[in-house]
Amino acid sequence: MASLLSGLLLLGALGLFLAMPGGRLNIARVGWVLLAAAAGILIVFTVQLAAGDGLGWFLACALVALFAAIRVITHKKPVYSALYFVLLIIAVTGLLLLMQAEFLAAALVIVYGGAILVTYVFVIMLAQQAHPAAYDAQSREPFLGCLAGCVLVSVITAQFLSGGGEPEEASRVIAEAAGTVEEVGTLLLTDYVIGIQIAGLLLLAAMVGAIAIARRRPVDVELEGED
Amino acid sequence: MLLPYLLVGALLFTLGMIGFVTRRNLIIIFLCTEMMFQGILVTLVAFGRYPLQGDPTYDGQVFALFLIAVAAAEAALGLALVVLLYRYKGTLDAKAWTFLKDE
Repeated sequence: MASLLSGLLLLGALGLFLAMPGGRLNIARVGWVLLAAAAGILIVFTVQLAAGDGLGWFLACALVALFAAIRVITHKKPVYSALYFVLLIIAVTGLLLLMQAEFLAAALVIVYGGAILVTYVFVIMLAQQAHPAAYDAQSREPFLGCLAGCVLVSVITAQFLSGGGEPEEASRVIAEAAGTVEEVGTLLLTDYVIGIQIAGLLLLAAMVGAIAIARRRPVDVELEGED
Repeated sequence: MLLPYLLVGALLFTLGMIGFVTRRNLIIIFLCTEMMFQGILVTLVAFGRYPLQGDPTYDGQVFALFLIAVAAAEAALGLALVVLLYRYKGTLDAKAWTFLKDE
């Protein structure tokens, strides 16, 4: 179990390092082969970890989500990164549907796919360079980044693997209306009513702040230092 | 089925972190923070659906909704800042701002 996991993490980190922008094309291909091997190990590991119905759908959504996530951080063109992020959102939506969080899945698609990603694409278009920018084709310290990520995910997974494994499935009844807007909304307006007020305030403050920042004129500030 | 979801959440968070520290485009850096949010979201909903003891609750989904609200606020502010920084320097390279760090 532990050897499988460490193999998965090492292969994944090495493959990601090779697939990062900045290397030559052949090296990136080797990285993708390593990442595919890591995906295979992930499938074996997940099947060993937990058996249950819906595992096939889970694996499909999880693999698409991880592939899209890797593409977001390895693609050299920002627009494509944003589009792969949409794919990531759709895969995460699938995971939420598997966990019977239907309302949250719809909210995620509407807010992320509909609002946040459109804003990102707008800003990418606004700041578009005439030719492919050099800073997109190069990553900063990819080896250290992948190493730090490998260490971080090892620590996290060691925590929850040492915690006695999968919690028992007894008394796992879930109501018929699970995850609908009724159940979540009732909870939201009773137990978490303060939270929802604060969330509204936060959104208002963010809106005012964004307008205030975007309206500022950049000319009247002296900047020191060179490019 | 709890642990596979936690594993995917941890992997998504870590991939977002790797992208955050290695990419040089400011927009992609902010996109990576959104990716870290996705990892947290999967983890929250998984803990609500497969709790360590007792029956499933909806608190995880409520937290996830709050997380989406925070992510929206963060995206609005962050992108406004990115646009402002782009207007100062005419580039999205994070290296253009390294002179801000302490000596």
